[in-house]
Amino acid sequence: MLDSEGAAAAPEFPVGLRVLLVDDDPTCLKILDRMLRKCLYHVTTCSQAMAALNILRAKKECFDLVLSDVYMPDMDGFKLLEHIGLEMDLPVIMMSADDHKDVVMKGVTHGACDYIIKPVRMESLKNIWQHVVRKKKNESKELDNSGSLDDNDRQRGVVDEGDNASSVCAGSWKSVKRKKVEGKDDDDDDEAVEEHEDPSHAKKSRVVWSVDLHQKFVNAVHHLGVDKAVPKKILELMSVAGLTRENVASHLQVCLLLRFSQLLLNSYFFHAEIIKYRLYLRRVSMPQYQGRLDSFAGCQDASYGSVGLIDSFNVHGLAVSTQIPLQSRTSIHPAPRSNTNVGIGASTVGQLGLIASGAPPNMVFPSVQQMNKQMSNTRGSSSNIQSSQLGQTPSVVQPYGSMSLQFGEEMPNFLTSSQASNFSLPGGTMSEQMNKSLTMQQTHNLQQFSFSQPRSNISILHSSGQLLNNNASNSSRFSSALMQQTSSNESSNHILGRLGITTNITSSPANYMKSSFSSFPQDLYVDAQSSFMNELSGNSYPSSSCIGVSPQTTSFQSLGSNNDLKGKIENVPGFNTINEHQNRSHEWKLQSVNIPYQTDHIVDFEQSNILSHSSLMSHHNTVATVSNRDNNSSVTVKEEIISLSNDIDVEKTTSFAQHKNANIDDDSIRLHYGVGPDMSYQDVLLDDIQNELMTVVGNQVSFMYRPLGASISIDLEHQQSYS
Amino acid sequence: MEYSTLYNQIAMMKKSFFDQGFLDEQFYQIEDLQDDASPNFVEEVVTLFFRDSSRLITNIDQALGKLPQDFGRLDSLMHQLKGSASSIGAAKLKNECTVFRDFCHKENIEGCLRQFQKVKKEHASLRQKLENYFQLLRQVGPVEKANRSGK
Repeated sequence: MLDSEGAAAAPEFPVGLRVLLVDDDPTCLKILDRMLRKCLYHVTTCSQAMAALNILRAKKECFDLVLSDVYMPDMDGFKLLEHIGLEMDLPVIMMSADDHKDVVMKGVTHGACDYIIKPVRMESLKNIWQHVVRKKKNESKELDNSGSLDDNDRQRGVVDEGDNASSVCAGSWKSVKRKKVEGKDDDDDDEAVEEHEDPSHAKKSRVVWSVDLHQKFVNAVHHLGVDKAVPKKILELMSVAGLTRENVASHLQVCLLLRFSQLLLNSYFFHAEIIKYRLYLRRVSMPQYQGRLDSFAGCQDASYGSVGLIDSFNVHGLAVSTQIPLQSRTSIHPAPRSNTNVGIGASTVGQLGLIASGAPPNMVFPSVQQMNKQMSNTRGSSSNIQSSQLGQTPSVVQPYGSMSLQFGEEMPNFLTSSQASNFSLPGGTMSEQMNKSLTMQQTHNLQQFSFSQPRSNISILHSSGQLLNNNASNSSRFSSALMQQTSSNESSNHILGRLGITTNITSSPANYMKSSFSSFPQDLYVDAQSSFMNELSGNSYPSSSCIGVSPQTTSFQSLGSNNDLKGKIENVPGFNTINEHQNRSHEWKLQSVNIPYQTDHIVDFEQSNILSHSSLMSHHNTVATVSNRDNNSSVTVKEEIISLSNDIDVEKTTSFAQHKNANIDDDSIRLHYGVGPDMSYQDVLLDDIQNELMTVVGNQVSFMYRPLGASISIDLEHQQSYS
Repeated sequence: MEYSTLYNQIAMMKKSFFDQGFLDEQFYQIEDLQDDASPNFVEEVVTLFFRDSSRLITNIDQALGKLPQDFGRLDSLMHQLKGSASSIGAAKLKNECTVFRDFCHKENIEGCLRQFQKVKKEHASLRQKLENYFQLLRQVGPVEKANRSGK
């Protein structure tokens, strides 16, 4: 105890510690103030909690410690405690005459560094400086080790949870009596369970990164700037009760990881974009497509952006593409001035849809053969047009068609719900999108897709994954990936899983979109899209795979496995599965309407052109050829496509018109395509595109490699418009 | 001499406060805070206390008069009074407040009313005692500070 006679006792504790004292009782306030000054601290007193909070907000740097009463008239001391903990991250010591154990416990669990029972004695105050030191020490330790969990953070209310299941986590998260995390209320759909891959994290705290939460995270990161986005500051900006720095740190890690993989994917897609562009140019040169130039150009951007720019947030890429053509993802096409547009737009949508539905992706990728077959069968449907769009990857188209039927039933719900959220990924925030999509997809996909043809999904995803993985930008690979998808569910599943979120997103969009379009009549389409999109955003793969295959892991682990994927894809039989899909051709037909739309867009292959060739349906053969890694098949496709172009124009218009009717809500990409052009067209187109890719790749030629930044910028633009 | 008598008086008075349980250890803590920088700290704090506590008691009175009684509010008010009392070391007053709160928790309005009378009585009694005490202190003046050290 300090000598009351004023003898200058050597300070036993840090002199000048800046304390904010909050107590509504004037007597206590005066006494404590005096005591603290006797300890040689700098004291600021406040008799109201709100005033204290304002002071802290204004000058948080001016204080080292907060000493607060529990029972105050204007605000509960615990609430203040939470606020301070989250916003300012200052140590807080609670005081009260109430010494009931449960109240004391509450203080501790709310994150108080200490709980002092009144009346307060000098001795108690002498040691409060230790809390400051301890806290600072813990924080610096945390920064170094973002995954570790320390006691202080625990006090802040880490949501401990054992089970990672979204529903469970959601429940436990919600039950934490802290301030409600916005957006978490009763919206299971939005919640994403983030599995911390970081080994050091030890999964001590499970945070359900809902869409909103992730959005906050992203906003915070953006606000701070990537360079300065340290977990602590992010947490402060997020102002989410119950969130700990570690949670934020883990999340940040995950997001960064995703971003990285996305960038890798982007580079790959860049190549695809280039190829697409070239195809477009080729098409453009043709008279009948002249008119389409505009639309295509417009679409081009969209697709371009979307496909190639698989930004760190793959979904984003997709979103972009989708967005471009359409205001919202859902719109089938931005401005189907010509059918082309429709196609493109559709593809965007389709992509989305594909992704969303999960199933579609697979469908898209199923071997070309399938597509061909289906296309031929489905001729009557409006899918022609779409198929043409999808044509880029014939395999894609077909599988989708068949699958779509299946999905159709399930999708509707899915699509509607999932939609957009996944889809529109803002350009920058990978994690955000990922999370959202993941969440959504997981939720939706898992629930809704029970595709009978798991394969197709897988394949699509598979191929996407491959694409992603193979930054080698092997066009052949690309195609083969697509093709091979269908072959082995397992492999694709595996791959998908491995690819993780990013991969899914990258590859799937293109293909998925397409497939989703075509496959089913409205319902399917919608579903596909939404599911597709969802998948894209989140783990698109997972959703696709869910369709019957194997659930994808939304975790980001897959990122790491890209390499593996690669290997796997190679092994994929390829077209075997395609054949199987043939049966569905009729189904396909219906859906194909959408597909072409999507395909076109997705692969970013001259969609417009393809669209114009609605009558491609007849060409099924070409599709088959595409799939291997070689270029051979692609060549074939190309030819056909060209020939069909004329026909397609007409049909396209029609189909598009029909499509336009699709309900494109904000969130659901629905293309309600009426009968569309023959699917074969799509196949052809797809082949064409693939061919193109192969050519490019094979020759190592062009990859007019656009600097990644460029494409990304496009993406961003779109994204922004989109989002 | 007078001073020593005064001092003795003061000392004895204070001792009786403690012996009879009107004051407790916390009062010493308050005294310790008094020094050259705050020569009248104790008196200031006690004065502040009685001013604030009187306000509280008035509020409780009003709350008790309102029907139906809001026991939650009564409890909350009394909690404040209790906290204040404990901060200056007014032990007996604090105990009376605790009893009142017990009645509140049981929603025993009769008990509350009776107890409240005791609270008021104790409050008035303590006030008087401490006023006398400070009066004596003022008589001895600053010199007395030296004698008041230590506990």
